[in-house]
Amino acid sequence: MYIGTENLSHIYMPGTPYATKALDEVSFSVGEGDFALLIGPSGSGKSTLIQHLNGLLKPTGGRVVFEDLELGAENVDLLSLRKRVGLVFQMAEEHFFSETVYDEVAFAPRNLGLEEDLVEQNVRSALENVGLDWQEVCHRHPFQLSSGQKRLVALAAVLSIKPEVLILDEPTAGLDPGGRLHLFDLLRMLNQQTGLTVLVCTHHMDEVAALADKVLVLNRGKVVMAGPAPDIFARRQELNDLGLSLPEITEVMHCLAKKGLPARTDIYTLEQARAEINSLKRRLKK
Amino acid sequence: MNRSITLGQYLPGESLVHQLNPRIKILALLIMLAVLFIVQTFHALIFLLLFAVLLLASSGVPFSYFLRGIRPILYIALFALVIYFFFNKGGVVLLRIGSVTVESDGVREGLFVVTRLVALVLYSLLLTLTTTPLSLTHGMGYFLKPLSYIGLPTDEVAMIMSIALRFIPTLMEESQRLMRAQLSRGADFESGSIFRKAKNLVPLIVPLFISAFRRADELALAMEARGFRLGARRTRLHEDIIAPRDWAVLIFVLAVLTAALALNI
Repeated sequence: MYIGTENLSHIYMPGTPYATKALDEVSFSVGEGDFALLIGPSGSGKSTLIQHLNGLLKPTGGRVVFEDLELGAENVDLLSLRKRVGLVFQMAEEHFFSETVYDEVAFAPRNLGLEEDLVEQNVRSALENVGLDWQEVCHRHPFQLSSGQKRLVALAAVLSIKPEVLILDEPTAGLDPGGRLHLFDLLRMLNQQTGLTVLVCTHHMDEVAALADKVLVLNRGKVVMAGPAPDIFARRQELNDLGLSLPEITEVMHCLAKKGLPARTDIYTLEQARAEINSLKRRLKK
Repeated sequence: MNRSITLGQYLPGESLVHQLNPRIKILALLIMLAVLFIVQTFHALIFLLLFAVLLLASSGVPFSYFLRGIRPILYIALFALVIYFFFNKGGVVLLRIGSVTVESDGVREGLFVVTRLVALVLYSLLLTLTTTPLSLTHGMGYFLKPLSYIGLPTDEVAMIMSIALRFIPTLMEESQRLMRAQLSRGADFESGSIFRKAKNLVPLIVPLFISAFRRADELALAMEARGFRLGARRTRLHEDIIAPRDWAVLIFVLAVLTAALALNI
Protein backbone atom coordinates (compact mmCIF):
# COMPACT_ATOMS: atom_id res chain seq x y z
CA MET A 1 0.00 0.00 0.00
CA TYR A 2 1.36 3.44 -0.91
CA ILE A 3 -0.98 5.57 1.16
CA GLY A 4 -4.24 4.47 2.72
CA THR A 5 -6.06 3.05 5.71
CA GLU A 6 -7.07 -0.34 7.04
CA ASN A 7 -10.27 -0.66 9.11
CA LEU A 8 -9.83 2.90 10.25
CA SER A 9 -12.37 4.10 12.82
CA HIS A 10 -12.55 7.46 14.47
CA ILE A 11 -14.81 8.57 17.30
CA TYR A 12 -14.97 12.23 18.29
CA MET A 13 -15.17 12.92 22.02
CA PRO A 14 -15.31 9.30 23.10
CA GLY A 15 -16.84 8.56 26.48
CA THR A 16 -19.12 11.61 26.51
CA PRO A 17 -22.77 11.98 25.51
CA TYR A 18 -21.41 13.92 22.51
CA ALA A 19 -19.46 10.93 21.18
CA THR A 20 -19.94 10.55 17.43
CA LYS A 21 -18.54 7.90 15.17
CA ALA A 22 -17.10 9.80 12.23
CA LEU A 23 -15.37 6.88 10.52
CA ASP A 24 -16.39 3.25 10.70
CA GLU A 25 -13.91 0.60 9.52
CA VAL A 26 -12.73 2.53 6.47
CA SER A 27 -10.24 0.74 4.24
CA PHE A 28 -8.87 2.25 1.06
CA SER A 29 -5.60 2.88 -0.69
CA VAL A 30 -4.22 5.20 -3.31
CA GLY A 31 -1.32 4.13 -5.50
CA GLU A 32 1.77 6.19 -6.25
CA GLY A 33 1.09 8.69 -9.03
CA ASP A 34 -2.67 8.16 -8.90
CA PHE A 35 -5.25 10.88 -9.22
CA ALA A 36 -7.89 9.79 -6.72
CA LEU A 37 -11.21 11.28 -5.81
CA LEU A 38 -12.88 11.06 -2.43
CA ILE A 39 -16.55 11.95 -2.66
CA GLY A 40 -19.48 11.88 -0.30
CA PRO A 41 -22.23 14.12 1.04
CA SER A 42 -21.44 16.68 3.77
CA GLY A 43 -20.82 15.05 7.10
CA SER A 44 -19.78 11.75 5.55
CA GLY A 45 -16.36 11.83 7.20
CA LYS A 46 -14.25 13.04 4.26
CA SER A 47 -12.40 15.71 6.21
CA THR A 48 -11.86 13.40 9.17
CA LEU A 49 -10.39 10.77 6.90
CA ILE A 50 -7.89 13.01 5.16
CA GLN A 51 -6.72 14.56 8.42
CA HIS A 52 -5.61 11.09 9.47
CA LEU A 53 -3.43 10.89 6.37
CA ASN A 54 -1.52 13.93 7.60
CA GLY A 55 -1.18 12.69 11.18
CA LEU A 56 -3.47 15.43 12.52
CA LEU A 57 -5.93 12.98 14.02
CA LYS A 58 -5.11 9.70 15.69
CA PRO A 59 -7.21 6.66 14.81
CA THR A 60 -9.56 5.29 17.46
CA GLY A 61 -9.09 1.92 15.76
CA GLY A 62 -7.36 0.52 12.70
CA ARG A 63 -4.28 1.62 10.80
CA VAL A 64 -3.17 4.53 8.65
CA VAL A 65 -0.22 3.82 6.41
CA PHE A 66 2.04 5.88 4.17
CA GLU A 67 4.77 3.78 2.51
CA ASP A 68 6.73 2.38 5.45
CA LEU A 69 5.26 4.77 8.03
CA GLU A 70 2.59 3.71 10.50
CA LEU A 71 0.79 7.01 11.14
CA GLY A 72 -1.22 5.82 14.12
CA ALA A 73 1.91 4.88 16.05
CA GLU A 74 3.00 6.90 19.08
CA ASN A 75 6.55 7.58 17.94
CA VAL A 76 5.91 8.49 14.30
CA ASP A 77 7.94 11.48 13.11
CA LEU A 78 5.13 13.82 12.12
CA LEU A 79 7.39 16.54 10.75
CA SER A 80 9.01 14.21 8.24
CA LEU A 81 5.57 12.89 7.30
CA ARG A 82 4.31 16.42 6.70
CA LYS A 83 7.32 17.06 4.50
CA ARG A 84 6.06 14.33 2.19
CA VAL A 85 2.26 14.52 2.45
CA GLY A 86 0.85 18.00 1.87
CA LEU A 87 -2.67 18.87 2.94
CA VAL A 88 -4.57 21.86 1.55
CA PHE A 89 -7.42 22.66 3.90
CA GLN A 90 -10.84 23.84 2.90
CA MET A 91 -10.78 27.63 2.37
CA ALA A 92 -7.07 27.53 3.15
CA GLU A 93 -6.70 31.24 2.33
CA GLU A 94 -8.51 31.99 5.59
CA HIS A 95 -5.43 30.70 7.39
CA PHE A 96 -3.12 33.37 5.99
CA PHE A 97 -1.25 35.45 8.52
CA SER A 98 1.88 36.80 6.82
CA GLU A 99 2.53 40.25 5.49
CA THR A 100 3.81 39.12 2.12
CA VAL A 101 2.91 36.31 -0.22
CA TYR A 102 6.56 35.25 -0.05
CA ASP A 103 6.47 34.71 3.72
CA GLU A 104 3.18 32.92 3.50
CA VAL A 105 4.47 30.42 0.96
CA ALA A 106 7.81 30.13 2.78
CA PHE A 107 6.15 29.29 6.13
CA ALA A 108 6.00 25.53 5.61
CA PRO A 109 9.49 25.01 4.14
CA ARG A 110 11.00 27.18 6.89
CA ASN A 111 9.21 25.15 9.55
CA LEU A 112 10.55 22.00 8.02
CA GLY A 113 14.06 23.33 8.46
CA LEU A 114 15.13 24.12 4.91
CA GLU A 115 18.03 26.47 4.21
CA GLU A 116 16.92 29.97 3.23
CA ASP A 117 18.25 29.77 -0.36
CA LEU A 118 16.47 26.45 -0.82
CA VAL A 119 13.34 28.04 0.66
CA GLU A 120 13.52 30.78 -1.92
CA GLN A 121 13.92 28.26 -4.71
CA ASN A 122 10.94 26.27 -3.48
CA VAL A 123 8.75 29.35 -3.04
CA ARG A 124 9.59 30.49 -6.51
CA SER A 125 8.87 27.18 -8.19
CA ALA A 126 5.68 26.72 -6.15
CA LEU A 127 4.35 30.14 -7.21
CA GLU A 128 5.32 29.50 -10.81
CA ASN A 129 3.76 26.05 -10.69
CA VAL A 130 0.39 27.50 -9.77
CA GLY A 131 0.70 29.99 -12.62
CA LEU A 132 1.37 33.17 -10.66
CA ASP A 133 3.93 35.74 -11.72
CA TRP A 134 6.45 35.31 -8.94
CA GLN A 135 8.11 38.71 -9.44
CA GLU A 136 4.85 40.54 -9.36
CA VAL A 137 3.17 38.69 -6.55
CA CYS A 138 5.79 37.78 -3.96
CA HIS A 139 6.03 41.15 -2.22
CA ARG A 140 2.34 41.85 -2.16
CA HIS A 141 0.11 41.48 0.87
CA PRO A 142 -1.87 38.23 0.62
CA PHE A 143 -5.11 40.06 1.37
CA GLN A 144 -4.71 42.32 -1.66
CA LEU A 145 -5.10 39.40 -4.03
CA SER A 146 -8.32 38.32 -5.68
CA SER A 147 -10.05 35.30 -4.17
CA GLY A 148 -8.92 33.07 -7.03
CA GLN A 149 -5.32 34.20 -6.59
CA LYS A 150 -5.54 33.67 -2.84
CA ARG A 151 -6.58 30.07 -3.39
CA LEU A 152 -3.60 29.60 -5.71
CA VAL A 153 -1.27 31.05 -3.10
CA ALA A 154 -2.79 28.65 -0.55
CA LEU A 155 -2.00 25.80 -2.91
CA ALA A 156 1.52 27.13 -3.47
CA ALA A 157 1.98 27.34 0.30
CA VAL A 158 1.70 23.56 0.42
CA LEU A 159 3.49 22.83 -2.87
CA SER A 160 6.50 24.72 -1.49
CA ILE A 161 7.40 21.69 0.66
CA LYS A 162 7.61 19.63 -2.54
CA PRO A 163 5.27 16.91 -1.29
CA GLU A 164 5.01 13.45 -2.80
CA VAL A 165 1.29 13.28 -2.02
CA LEU A 166 -1.04 16.25 -2.27
CA ILE A 167 -4.40 16.08 -0.53
CA LEU A 168 -6.98 18.79 -1.14
CA ASP A 169 -10.20 19.32 0.81
CA GLU A 170 -12.89 20.95 -1.37
CA PRO A 171 -10.28 22.93 -3.32
CA THR A 172 -12.82 24.72 -5.48
CA ALA A 173 -15.31 25.80 -2.82
CA GLY A 174 -16.29 29.40 -3.46
CA LEU A 175 -14.39 29.75 -6.74
CA ASP A 176 -15.96 30.91 -10.00
CA PRO A 177 -16.07 28.47 -12.96
CA GLY A 178 -12.92 29.93 -14.49
CA GLY A 179 -11.03 29.55 -11.25
CA ARG A 180 -12.23 25.98 -10.87
CA LEU A 181 -11.08 25.02 -14.36
CA HIS A 182 -7.71 26.66 -13.85
CA LEU A 183 -7.18 24.86 -10.54
CA PHE A 184 -7.95 21.45 -11.96
CA ASP A 185 -5.77 22.08 -15.02
CA LEU A 186 -2.96 22.75 -12.58
CA LEU A 187 -3.64 19.60 -10.61
CA ARG A 188 -3.72 17.51 -13.78
CA MET A 189 -0.46 19.02 -14.93
CA LEU A 190 1.22 18.40 -11.57
CA ASN A 191 -0.06 14.85 -11.53
CA GLN A 192 0.98 14.01 -15.07
CA GLN A 193 4.24 15.93 -15.35
CA THR A 194 5.76 15.49 -11.92
CA GLY A 195 4.12 12.23 -10.88
CA LEU A 196 2.55 13.86 -7.82
CA THR A 197 -0.05 11.65 -6.17
CA VAL A 198 -3.25 13.66 -5.80
CA LEU A 199 -6.26 12.99 -3.61
CA VAL A 200 -9.15 15.42 -4.02
CA CYS A 201 -12.01 15.47 -1.58
CA THR A 202 -15.17 17.06 -2.94
CA HIS A 203 -18.87 16.78 -3.53
CA HIS A 204 -18.73 18.85 -6.66
CA MET A 205 -17.66 16.65 -9.53
CA ASP A 206 -18.12 18.74 -12.67
CA GLU A 207 -14.49 19.45 -13.49
CA VAL A 208 -12.75 16.74 -11.59
CA ALA A 209 -14.52 13.62 -12.82
CA ALA A 210 -12.51 13.47 -16.04
CA LEU A 211 -9.21 13.57 -14.14
CA ALA A 212 -9.83 10.76 -11.69
CA ASP A 213 -8.26 7.31 -11.97
CA LYS A 214 -9.84 6.05 -8.84
CA VAL A 215 -12.91 6.99 -6.80
CA LEU A 216 -13.87 6.34 -3.21
CA VAL A 217 -17.39 7.13 -2.02
CA LEU A 218 -18.02 7.71 1.67
CA ASN A 219 -21.38 7.90 3.38
CA ARG A 220 -21.95 8.21 7.14
CA GLY A 221 -18.37 7.21 7.87
CA LYS A 222 -18.44 4.08 5.73
CA VAL A 223 -17.02 3.27 2.33
CA VAL A 224 -20.01 2.56 0.12
CA MET A 225 -18.25 2.34 -3.24
CA ALA A 226 -14.65 2.17 -4.36
CA GLY A 227 -13.01 1.44 -7.67
CA PRO A 228 -11.91 2.80 -11.03
CA ALA A 229 -13.71 6.02 -11.97
CA PRO A 230 -15.80 4.72 -14.92
CA ASP A 231 -17.16 1.85 -12.78
CA ILE A 232 -18.24 4.20 -10.02
CA PHE A 233 -19.72 6.87 -12.27
CA ALA A 234 -21.74 4.19 -14.04
CA ARG A 235 -23.72 3.71 -10.82
CA ARG A 236 -25.62 6.93 -11.34
CA GLN A 237 -28.76 6.03 -9.43
CA GLU A 238 -26.89 4.98 -6.29
CA LEU A 239 -24.87 8.19 -6.36
CA ASN A 240 -28.03 10.25 -6.77
CA ASP A 241 -29.58 8.47 -3.81
CA LEU A 242 -26.62 9.64 -1.73
CA GLY A 243 -27.29 13.23 -2.84
CA LEU A 244 -24.29 13.23 -5.19
CA SER A 245 -24.70 14.24 -8.79
CA LEU A 246 -22.58 13.32 -11.77
CA PRO A 247 -21.07 16.05 -13.92
CA GLU A 248 -23.86 17.80 -15.83
CA ILE A 249 -22.55 16.68 -19.18
CA THR A 250 -22.59 13.06 -17.98
CA GLU A 251 -26.20 13.54 -16.92
CA VAL A 252 -26.98 14.75 -20.46
CA MET A 253 -25.45 11.58 -21.91
CA HIS A 254 -27.45 9.47 -19.47
CA CYS A 255 -30.62 11.24 -20.68
CA LEU A 256 -29.73 10.45 -24.29
CA ALA A 257 -29.15 6.81 -23.37
CA LYS A 258 -32.46 6.72 -21.57
CA LYS A 259 -34.21 7.92 -24.74
CA GLY A 260 -32.96 4.74 -26.40
CA LEU A 261 -29.98 6.21 -28.25
CA PRO A 262 -26.83 4.05 -28.22
CA ALA A 263 -24.82 6.80 -26.52
CA ARG A 264 -21.88 6.13 -24.24
CA THR A 265 -22.35 7.44 -20.70
CA ASP A 266 -18.72 7.42 -19.53
CA ILE A 267 -18.34 11.00 -20.77
CA TYR A 268 -17.09 13.65 -18.37
CA THR A 269 -16.04 16.64 -20.43
CA LEU A 270 -17.60 18.85 -23.08
CA GLU A 271 -15.01 17.73 -25.67
CA GLN A 272 -15.74 14.05 -25.10
CA ALA A 273 -19.45 14.78 -25.34
CA ARG A 274 -19.06 16.67 -28.59
CA ALA A 275 -17.04 13.85 -30.14
CA GLU A 276 -19.50 11.22 -28.92
CA ILE A 277 -22.53 13.11 -30.21
CA ASN A 278 -20.90 13.60 -33.59
CA SER A 279 -20.05 9.93 -33.87
CA LEU A 280 -23.56 9.10 -32.69
CA LYS A 281 -24.99 11.19 -35.52
CA ARG A 282 -22.80 9.38 -38.03
CA ARG A 283 -23.76 6.00 -36.64
CA LEU A 284 -27.48 6.86 -36.75
CA LYS A 285 -27.27 8.02 -40.38
CA LYS A 286 -25.91 4.66 -41.48
CA MET B 1 -11.84 19.08 23.84
CA ASN B 2 -14.95 21.08 24.64
CA ARG B 3 -15.01 19.49 28.05
CA SER B 4 -12.13 21.60 29.25
CA ILE B 5 -13.95 24.90 28.95
CA THR B 6 -16.09 25.75 31.92
CA LEU B 7 -18.69 27.76 30.04
CA GLY B 8 -19.70 24.88 27.86
CA GLN B 9 -20.48 22.52 30.73
CA TYR B 10 -24.04 21.83 29.65
CA LEU B 11 -24.85 18.18 29.08
CA PRO B 12 -28.09 17.50 27.25
CA GLY B 13 -30.64 15.35 29.03
CA GLU B 14 -34.33 14.70 29.51
CA SER B 15 -34.63 14.77 33.29
CA LEU B 16 -36.99 16.98 35.27
CA VAL B 17 -34.05 19.12 36.36
CA HIS B 18 -33.14 19.70 32.72
CA GLN B 19 -36.67 20.72 31.82
CA LEU B 20 -37.31 23.15 34.65
CA ASN B 21 -37.71 26.80 33.88
CA PRO B 22 -34.27 28.44 34.17
CA ARG B 23 -35.66 31.33 36.25
CA ILE B 24 -36.97 28.88 38.83
CA LYS B 25 -33.68 27.01 38.79
CA ILE B 26 -31.67 30.18 39.39
CA LEU B 27 -34.03 31.31 42.13
CA ALA B 28 -33.89 27.90 43.82
CA LEU B 29 -30.10 27.91 43.61
CA LEU B 30 -29.87 31.36 45.20
CA ILE B 31 -32.12 30.30 48.09
CA MET B 32 -30.19 27.08 48.56
CA LEU B 33 -26.89 28.91 48.67
CA ALA B 34 -28.32 31.31 51.24
CA VAL B 35 -29.52 28.42 53.41
CA LEU B 36 -26.13 26.74 53.09
CA PHE B 37 -24.60 29.82 54.65
CA ILE B 38 -27.24 30.04 57.38
CA VAL B 39 -26.97 26.48 58.71
CA GLN B 40 -24.48 26.04 61.50
CA THR B 41 -24.91 22.42 62.55
CA PHE B 42 -23.36 19.36 61.02
CA HIS B 43 -26.53 17.35 60.63
CA ALA B 44 -28.28 20.18 58.77
CA LEU B 45 -25.30 20.49 56.49
CA ILE B 46 -25.08 16.75 55.83
CA PHE B 47 -28.82 16.79 55.13
CA LEU B 48 -28.29 19.49 52.48
CA LEU B 49 -25.35 17.61 51.00
CA LEU B 50 -27.46 14.46 50.72
CA PHE B 51 -30.21 16.49 49.07
CA ALA B 52 -27.68 17.77 46.54
CA VAL B 53 -26.52 14.21 45.79
CA LEU B 54 -30.14 13.12 45.39
CA LEU B 55 -30.79 15.94 42.89
CA LEU B 56 -27.60 15.11 41.02
CA ALA B 57 -28.62 11.47 40.74
CA SER B 58 -32.06 12.49 39.46
CA SER B 59 -30.49 14.68 36.76
CA GLY B 60 -28.98 11.64 35.03
CA VAL B 61 -25.68 13.45 34.46
CA PRO B 62 -22.81 10.95 34.90
CA PHE B 63 -21.22 11.27 38.32
CA SER B 64 -17.76 11.66 36.84
CA TYR B 65 -18.75 15.13 35.62
CA PHE B 66 -19.44 16.29 39.17
CA LEU B 67 -16.19 14.83 40.40
CA ARG B 68 -14.39 16.66 37.60
CA GLY B 69 -16.23 19.83 38.57
CA ILE B 70 -15.09 19.52 42.17
CA ARG B 71 -11.47 18.98 41.26
CA PRO B 72 -10.60 22.69 40.82
CA ILE B 73 -11.59 23.46 44.43
CA LEU B 74 -9.53 20.60 45.90
CA TYR B 75 -6.57 22.84 46.61
CA ILE B 76 -8.68 25.51 48.24
CA ALA B 77 -10.30 22.84 50.38
CA LEU B 78 -6.95 21.39 51.36
CA PHE B 79 -5.61 24.84 52.18
CA ALA B 80 -8.66 25.61 54.33
CA LEU B 81 -8.30 22.30 56.16
CA VAL B 82 -4.66 22.99 57.01
CA ILE B 83 -5.43 26.50 58.24
CA TYR B 84 -8.34 25.36 60.41
CA PHE B 85 -6.53 22.30 61.77
CA PHE B 86 -3.47 24.17 62.91
CA PHE B 87 -4.70 27.62 63.78
CA ASN B 88 -8.17 27.17 65.28
CA LYS B 89 -7.90 26.36 68.95
CA GLY B 90 -10.35 25.07 71.49
CA GLY B 91 -11.67 21.74 72.69
CA VAL B 92 -9.63 18.60 73.19
CA VAL B 93 -6.06 18.37 71.97
CA LEU B 94 -6.02 15.65 69.37
CA LEU B 95 -2.45 15.78 68.17
CA ARG B 96 0.72 17.41 69.46
CA ILE B 97 3.87 17.88 67.38
CA GLY B 98 6.34 19.86 69.45
CA SER B 99 4.64 23.14 70.24
CA VAL B 100 2.06 22.75 67.44
CA THR B 101 -1.31 21.28 68.40
CA VAL B 102 -4.37 20.17 66.48
CA GLU B 103 -7.47 20.68 68.57
CA SER B 104 -10.97 19.28 68.15
CA ASP B 105 -12.74 22.59 67.46
CA GLY B 106 -10.38 23.34 64.61
CA VAL B 107 -10.95 19.92 63.07
CA ARG B 108 -14.71 20.29 63.43
CA GLU B 109 -14.80 23.75 61.86
CA GLY B 110 -12.37 22.79 59.11
CA LEU B 111 -14.47 19.82 58.05
CA PHE B 112 -17.61 21.96 58.29
CA VAL B 113 -16.24 24.66 55.98
CA VAL B 114 -15.00 22.15 53.43
CA THR B 115 -18.28 20.23 53.40
CA ARG B 116 -20.12 23.50 52.88
CA LEU B 117 -17.78 24.37 50.01
CA VAL B 118 -18.38 21.02 48.33
CA ALA B 119 -22.14 21.42 48.72
CA LEU B 120 -21.96 24.94 47.23
CA VAL B 121 -20.08 23.68 44.20
CA LEU B 122 -22.38 20.69 43.74
CA TYR B 123 -25.49 22.86 43.72
CA SER B 124 -23.91 25.30 41.26
CA LEU B 125 -22.76 22.47 39.01
CA LEU B 126 -26.27 21.10 39.02
CA LEU B 127 -27.43 24.36 37.48
CA THR B 128 -24.65 24.77 34.89
CA LEU B 129 -24.61 21.13 33.83
CA THR B 130 -28.35 20.93 33.19
CA THR B 131 -29.07 24.36 31.72
CA THR B 132 -27.99 25.55 28.29
CA PRO B 133 -25.83 28.66 28.45
CA LEU B 134 -28.49 30.43 26.42
CA SER B 135 -31.33 29.80 28.86
CA LEU B 136 -28.96 30.65 31.70
CA THR B 137 -28.39 34.11 30.27
CA HIS B 138 -32.09 34.55 29.64
CA GLY B 139 -32.79 33.58 33.22
CA MET B 140 -30.16 35.92 34.58
CA GLY B 141 -31.36 38.68 32.31
CA TYR B 142 -34.73 38.36 34.03
CA PHE B 143 -33.22 38.90 37.45
CA LEU B 144 -31.23 41.88 36.17
CA LYS B 145 -34.40 43.47 34.81
CA PRO B 146 -34.92 45.87 37.77
CA LEU B 147 -31.63 47.53 36.84
CA SER B 148 -33.18 48.78 33.60
CA TYR B 149 -35.17 51.28 35.69
CA ILE B 150 -31.95 53.03 36.60
CA GLY B 151 -30.97 53.21 32.92
CA LEU B 152 -28.94 50.05 32.50
CA PRO B 153 -29.57 48.46 29.05
CA THR B 154 -30.29 45.01 30.49
CA ASP B 155 -31.83 43.62 27.30
CA GLU B 156 -28.79 44.58 25.32
CA VAL B 157 -26.44 43.17 27.95
CA ALA B 158 -28.34 39.87 27.84
CA MET B 159 -28.15 39.94 24.03
CA ILE B 160 -24.39 40.54 24.11
CA MET B 161 -23.96 37.73 26.61
CA SER B 162 -25.96 35.25 24.59
CA ILE B 163 -24.16 36.15 21.36
CA ALA B 164 -20.82 35.75 23.11
CA LEU B 165 -21.86 32.37 24.49
CA ARG B 166 -23.22 31.32 21.12
CA PHE B 167 -19.86 31.97 19.47
CA ILE B 168 -17.59 30.29 22.01
CA PRO B 169 -17.97 26.81 20.52
CA THR B 170 -17.68 28.25 17.01
CA LEU B 171 -14.42 29.98 17.82
CA MET B 172 -13.14 26.92 19.67
CA GLU B 173 -13.83 24.82 16.62
CA GLU B 174 -12.25 27.40 14.38
CA SER B 175 -9.10 27.62 16.46
CA GLN B 176 -8.80 23.87 16.43
CA ARG B 177 -9.15 23.78 12.67
CA LEU B 178 -6.58 26.55 12.36
CA MET B 179 -4.21 24.77 14.67
CA ARG B 180 -4.43 21.64 12.55
CA ALA B 181 -4.01 23.61 9.34
CA GLN B 182 -0.84 25.27 10.61
CA LEU B 183 0.44 22.02 12.11
CA SER B 184 0.11 20.41 8.71
CA ARG B 185 2.36 23.20 7.43
CA GLY B 186 4.93 22.19 10.00
CA ALA B 187 4.08 24.77 12.68
CA ASP B 188 5.26 24.02 16.20
CA PHE B 189 3.23 25.21 19.15
CA GLU B 190 4.95 23.26 21.89
CA SER B 191 8.71 23.54 22.00
CA GLY B 192 11.01 26.52 22.57
CA SER B 193 11.30 29.30 25.14
CA ILE B 194 8.31 31.33 26.21
CA PHE B 195 9.15 34.09 23.70
CA ARG B 196 9.56 31.57 20.93
CA LYS B 197 6.19 30.06 21.89
CA ALA B 198 4.50 33.46 21.88
CA LYS B 199 5.95 34.17 18.46
CA ASN B 200 4.79 30.78 17.22
CA LEU B 201 1.23 31.68 18.11
CA VAL B 202 1.07 34.43 15.48
CA PRO B 203 -0.05 32.03 12.72
CA LEU B 204 -2.94 31.11 14.99
CA ILE B 205 -3.96 34.45 16.42
CA VAL B 206 -3.90 36.57 13.28
CA PRO B 207 -6.33 34.43 11.26
CA LEU B 208 -8.50 33.90 14.34
CA PHE B 209 -8.85 37.65 14.85
CA ILE B 210 -9.53 38.26 11.20
CA SER B 211 -12.29 35.67 11.14
CA ALA B 212 -13.77 36.86 14.45
CA PHE B 213 -14.01 40.42 13.13
CA ARG B 214 -15.46 39.20 9.85
CA ARG B 215 -18.04 37.16 11.70
CA ALA B 216 -18.96 40.10 13.91
CA ASP B 217 -19.33 42.30 10.87
CA GLU B 218 -21.51 39.80 9.06
CA LEU B 219 -23.62 39.17 12.13
CA ALA B 220 -24.21 42.89 12.65
CA LEU B 221 -25.27 43.23 9.03
CA ALA B 222 -27.55 40.21 9.24
CA MET B 223 -29.16 41.53 12.43
CA GLU B 224 -29.76 44.93 10.90
CA ALA B 225 -31.17 43.34 7.77
CA ARG B 226 -33.69 41.59 9.98
CA GLY B 227 -34.73 44.81 11.66
CA PHE B 228 -32.70 44.69 14.85
CA ARG B 229 -32.42 48.01 16.61
CA LEU B 230 -31.44 49.09 20.07
CA GLY B 231 -34.08 49.69 22.70
CA ALA B 232 -36.82 47.79 20.89
CA ARG B 233 -38.85 45.26 22.81
CA ARG B 234 -38.23 41.74 21.58
CA THR B 235 -40.31 38.63 21.99
CA ARG B 236 -38.84 35.16 22.25
CA LEU B 237 -39.22 32.13 20.04
CA HIS B 238 -39.53 29.79 23.01
CA GLU B 239 -41.80 31.55 25.44
CA ASP B 240 -40.54 31.62 28.95
CA ILE B 241 -43.48 30.14 30.82
CA ILE B 242 -43.40 29.07 34.44
CA ALA B 243 -45.52 25.92 34.51
CA PRO B 244 -47.34 24.49 37.55
CA ARG B 245 -44.61 21.85 37.63
CA ASP B 246 -42.00 24.56 38.16
CA TRP B 247 -43.93 26.02 41.07
CA ALA B 248 -44.34 22.54 42.54
CA VAL B 249 -40.59 21.96 42.39
CA LEU B 250 -39.90 25.35 43.94
CA ILE B 251 -42.31 24.59 46.81
CA PHE B 252 -40.70 21.17 47.27
CA VAL B 253 -37.25 22.77 47.47
CA LEU B 254 -38.51 25.35 49.96
CA ALA B 255 -39.99 22.56 52.08
CA VAL B 256 -36.70 20.67 52.11
CA LEU B 257 -34.82 23.81 53.00
CA THR B 258 -37.26 24.53 55.85
CA ALA B 259 -36.56 21.02 57.11
CA ALA B 260 -32.85 21.79 56.96
CA LEU B 261 -33.39 24.96 58.96
CA ALA B 262 -35.43 22.98 61.49
CA LEU B 263 -32.53 20.54 61.84
CA ASN B 264 -30.29 23.51 62.40
CA ILE B 265 -31.88 24.34 65.74
